[in-house]
Amino acid sequence: MKHDKKAIGVALVSSIFIAACGGGGGDSSGTDAAAPPSNVLNFGAGSPTGSEGSCSAVTDGVNWDALMTEVCPRLSDYNLFTNAGDPTAGPTRGGVPYDLSTSLFSDYTSKYRFVFVPEGAAVGYTPSEALDFPVGTVITKTFALPENTAMRDGAELVIETRLLIHRADGWIALPYYWSSESDATLAIAGKRLTGLTTVNNQGQTLSFDYSVPKAADCTSCHSIVPDLAGPDDQREQVFLPIGPKARYLNKDVTYPDGTVYNQLQYWAEGELLSGLPADFNQVEKAAVFNDETNISSISSSELNAKARAYLDINCAHCHRADLTLPPDYAGPAGSSGVQLEYNRNYDDSPGKFGVCKDPVAGGKEGYPYDVIPGNADESYLLFRTETTDSRHKMPELGRSTVHREGVELLRSWINQLPRASCSPDP
Amino acid sequence: MRQANTGTKLLLVTAMSSGLLLVGCGGDDGKDGADGKSADVTAQLAVTTSGFSIPEDAILVAPEATDGDDITEALSVALFDLPDDALVVLPKGRFVVTESIVVNSASGLTLTGYGINETALDFSASNGDDAFRFQGGNGISVRDFGVYEAPKNGIKATNVNGIHMTFTATVWEGDLEASNGAYGLYPLKSQNVLLENNYAFGSADAGIYVGQSENIVVRNNTAKQNVAGIEIENSTMADVYNNIAVGNSGGILVFDLPGLDKAYGGNVRVFNNQAYSNNAENVGAGVVGMVPPGTGALVLATSDVEIYNNRITDNATTAVAITSYLLVDDDLASYPANYGATMGNGWSPTLKNVYLHNNTIARNGANPQGALLQPVIDGYSSNLNSKGAPQTFPAFLYDGIGELLSNAGELAGFNALVGIDAQADGVNYDPYGVGDQVCANSNINGNPAPDYDAVNTGLVYPDDPTDVTLVDGAGNPLPHLLIDQMVNNTYLNCVQPRLAPAVVNFRNNIYGCSGDDLAEAACAL
Repeated sequence: MKHDKKAIGVALVSSIFIAACGGGGGDSSGTDAAAPPSNVLNFGAGSPTGSEGSCSAVTDGVNWDALMTEVCPRLSDYNLFTNAGDPTAGPTRGGVPYDLSTSLFSDYTSKYRFVFVPEGAAVGYTPSEALDFPVGTVITKTFALPENTAMRDGAELVIETRLLIHRADGWIALPYYWSSESDATLAIAGKRLTGLTTVNNQGQTLSFDYSVPKAADCTSCHSIVPDLAGPDDQREQVFLPIGPKARYLNKDVTYPDGTVYNQLQYWAEGELLSGLPADFNQVEKAAVFNDETNISSISSSELNAKARAYLDINCAHCHRADLTLPPDYAGPAGSSGVQLEYNRNYDDSPGKFGVCKDPVAGGKEGYPYDVIPGNADESYLLFRTETTDSRHKMPELGRSTVHREGVELLRSWINQLPRASCSPDP
Repeated sequence: MRQANTGTKLLLVTAMSSGLLLVGCGGDDGKDGADGKSADVTAQLAVTTSGFSIPEDAILVAPEATDGDDITEALSVALFDLPDDALVVLPKGRFVVTESIVVNSASGLTLTGYGINETALDFSASNGDDAFRFQGGNGISVRDFGVYEAPKNGIKATNVNGIHMTFTATVWEGDLEASNGAYGLYPLKSQNVLLENNYAFGSADAGIYVGQSENIVVRNNTAKQNVAGIEIENSTMADVYNNIAVGNSGGILVFDLPGLDKAYGGNVRVFNNQAYSNNAENVGAGVVGMVPPGTGALVLATSDVEIYNNRITDNATTAVAITSYLLVDDDLASYPANYGATMGNGWSPTLKNVYLHNNTIARNGANPQGALLQPVIDGYSSNLNSKGAPQTFPAFLYDGIGELLSNAGELAGFNALVGIDAQADGVNYDPYGVGDQVCANSNINGNPAPDYDAVNTGLVYPDDPTDVTLVDGAGNPLPHLLIDQMVNNTYLNCVQPRLAPAVVNFRNNIYGCSGDDLAEAACAL
């Protein structure tokens, strides 16, 4: 195993020891030059060697080989963070923080995301689907519940860290639960936390249970499924990331060194992203919606853009079919009548958004259609976002409490939609 | 991650001896080779009450759990990242599960308990939604256990090629209530679906539901006290036979609903079933909530359906209702706006080629109900029908409005909506040809006593525009409520070609009337 020359003697010795054990700390081949500050974001990050990894390997950088082959019992085994007890900052060399313009609601938690791409590799740009992350990529997402959602920089409870790992045979997902201050442990069967509380932006105290998903749950959202074309069609579902799409990354963020930069351009200039269109206007850009958005003060076109972004990131990982997907694949709820993707043209088929559509696998008295333009309060879709009854709630996973701000956004959106045949008389 | 087999000998020996006893009693019914695993007596640890042999190398979930234990974690761990062809065994007894159990892309998995009554999983305290959900995968067999009080669906399987459920129970105990979960058995968007020997009780939706799937056999099941007993929806090549549907609101339903990814189904055969006393109050919601209580069988907007050799009795509204979607939504002017996309994909509010024959019909129509049918019920129970006197409600009820409007050319404008693929598959709004007709013949009046003698065929609208005599001020036809005897009938007196049997290929064995049931009596007619 080779190390770049920055490696100090002790680390070198220990890494040789690891190599003898069949572990792998990384291969920084091609960067032997005495490390000048490089603009390459994953310079010095190392990469998988292709050997079988070891959870107990002590590595200078990311424990790539373990990530590629092992399901480790502790998050720290992968050495993704310089302070093993803090997954919210300080990624190991090569880790890049990122943020999304509008994100999935997860019980008001703050999310800390990092992407680790092996040295020498880069992410391929794709216009509408998740970016094309190379084999070896690891995405970490840590969920922390703030004491007060209006002060997300303040005190918070770090609950879980989820890993998406792109192995040679596809992506896998592993959930780690922060069972102690110092480390997170693998939670294949998930974990349920009772009686968590936070104060929301309106000053209301919310109390709810929180579910760390089971490992198997990840695929419920993170997959596209084949539209089986006949009795002999043996295609399998494909696991994919959801959030890191160009349209959600296309926003300015403040990096730890204080610079403010568009994420996609930062990645491209850091040689982490290839193929970004020279004409940046071609790149999709989802609207920003968060709990600070004042719905009452935005224009109807802004309202529509924010609602569409919200529906896309909260619903369309499942509720999607055709459009920019590979042919004959759909989201896990692609067989449902409701499809809510960012790129779906509303005017072409309002029924796909649930307008005047009878509920099929579901329904509840008092909610005759999924979406009734002008009558959000009797729209089943809105009800499903407002309830925590697992018979009806949407999304099915990862939400134990109501996202009041999101519900208000959708309520306003439904009420301003063009009237349809099921709408109340004016 | 795997439970070791050692340390479980006592339980296993007990189970094995009872299993051997069952084999000795003929517990293997001989029809049940669907697992594709032969019974090797020397290597077996136990035999389920249905005669399924559990081999020694099975993965045991919480084998030492005792009644009332929460086995959620053991179950979740055992079913995560399975090897191909794994055989996972649930423990014997009644256990608590507090989360949804999700299985992804399993290949060749068999998940078994010790028997439909011997292994019971109680989800009443579950924080999840579905009890079991199998997503993706192939050749999955689920058998020999019961699922109780699921918050949402009982056993769901989506996008699976080869899903077999046998000797399972999905149960919501007590009265039929709106809060009784959703579907019981729920294969969705799957290929090669084999549901047999199951028991579905108490669902506020369908007890046994197959949606948007192809190549389906549903046989030897009992569906009791659900809103819908057995429902085949937007599915193609389905055989439903030798089942019992009793005490549901609607016994056996064949639906094509608008807006789904698989826009329409067809070639559905419903035969040799018993559908009786399906008179439960309808506590459901959505489209299924509209099913009139007291319905033996209902075909809604699905073409190419054959219903024959069934015994349909004691249903208070009607034995078989055959209806277009216009009964659900009569706002034709809004169809292009609301259903244009799905009509482009071939969904149609009309139905064609529905053929009822050789069914035994008795004691239906005693107390017709259902908001959807109320005007029709009012007409037949008063003088406002073609005979001008109150009538026993028709045992066969056909709305006829889709056919009438098609024959009158009133729906021809919809032809422009139909996409090329659907056109090629024969979807159109032209006048009905001979092969499109709804037919009923050779049905049998099974009434035991004279006071039940009236067994009728009713048409809400005549199918021939020249027979329309009642119109409203705008010239739209009004219900005529034609009525006719069922035997030696005039209305619907025609014959259609027989439909092809469904073929299920599960783990390279063929099931159904052209497979393992080749010699089955039900398949002979």
